[in-house]
Amino acid sequence: MTLVRIDNRLIHGQIIETWLPYTGAETVIVANDELSVDALQQEIMSLAIPQSVTSRFVSIENLAGEMQAIFSGKESASVLVLFSSCPDAKRAYDSGFDFQSLNIGNVHYSPGKKQISPSVALSDDDESCLKQLSRKGVSLDFRCVPNDPIQVRF
Amino acid sequence: MSMPDKDRKKNKPQVGVVVVTHGNFGQALLLAAEMVLGPQDDCLAIGVDVELGVDETMEAIQKAIRSVEKGRGVMVLTDLFGGSPTTMSLSLMDDENLEVITGVNLPMLVATLQARAMNLDALAENAKSAGVQGIKVAGAMLRKKTRK
Repeated sequence: MTLVRIDNRLIHGQIIETWLPYTGAETVIVANDELSVDALQQEIMSLAIPQSVTSRFVSIENLAGEMQAIFSGKESASVLVLFSSCPDAKRAYDSGFDFQSLNIGNVHYSPGKKQISPSVALSDDDESCLKQLSRKGVSLDFRCVPNDPIQVRF
Repeated sequence: MSMPDKDRKKNKPQVGVVVVTHGNFGQALLLAAEMVLGPQDDCLAIGVDVELGVDETMEAIQKAIRSVEKGRGVMVLTDLFGGSPTTMSLSLMDDENLEVITGVNLPMLVATLQARAMNLDALAENAKSAGVQGIKVAGAMLRKKTRK
């Protein structure tokens, strides 16, 4: 299976302890423009990922190509794709990365945002990105960890 | 008898200690350690709240590190290897004189606070071994003993 998730912390405890075992992901792709050019942060995050899991750090623009490379010649692969924000997920979708379901994990609060669940606060921009994705047929799954009930109150 | 704290500090500054954890675990752990050892200087706990932004949390951690830095470096004790308290602390290693040690427990924190005259490297090794040594299946040990 492939899980596509928005988490403003990218690789962290919830990912390592819950989503990796749950998805059985063999590869974690961090799709983030800043991280794709930050060797130190990449090393720190790679350190956190279990050795049995491969990690890749790609720019939003290169994500679709990277996914194609991973799946080419394979019937299936188990991949966990992480974005740090809703606009990033939307941008990846628009540049050719096709996904059917989007897990929204942690989107932190800041002034002007609307808190829609304990771990998700959306700005107008976030909201419009998610609505556009939803209109294109992407199902939205608001869950912090796998055992949370799927909350779609959006 | 050991020297009064005041004199000891005058002789040699000690390594600073910051506990960085998920939620209030670090604050509670530090309170527990002070219950064992009495009040401690140059140590702080920072709780990482997943609902807050990464930037402001990073700033809080950095501020805490700088405020306990007395020229001999700072030991950062974090809870979970792979968790964001750990990754955030690690990303400050370029700017600050730090060691980051994960899996903090009370034996580890107590040992760290007791040995802050050591160099950072030695202090970290000492903390690690105290943390590991503190884990015992004590019930089984007792059962074995009473059976003999």
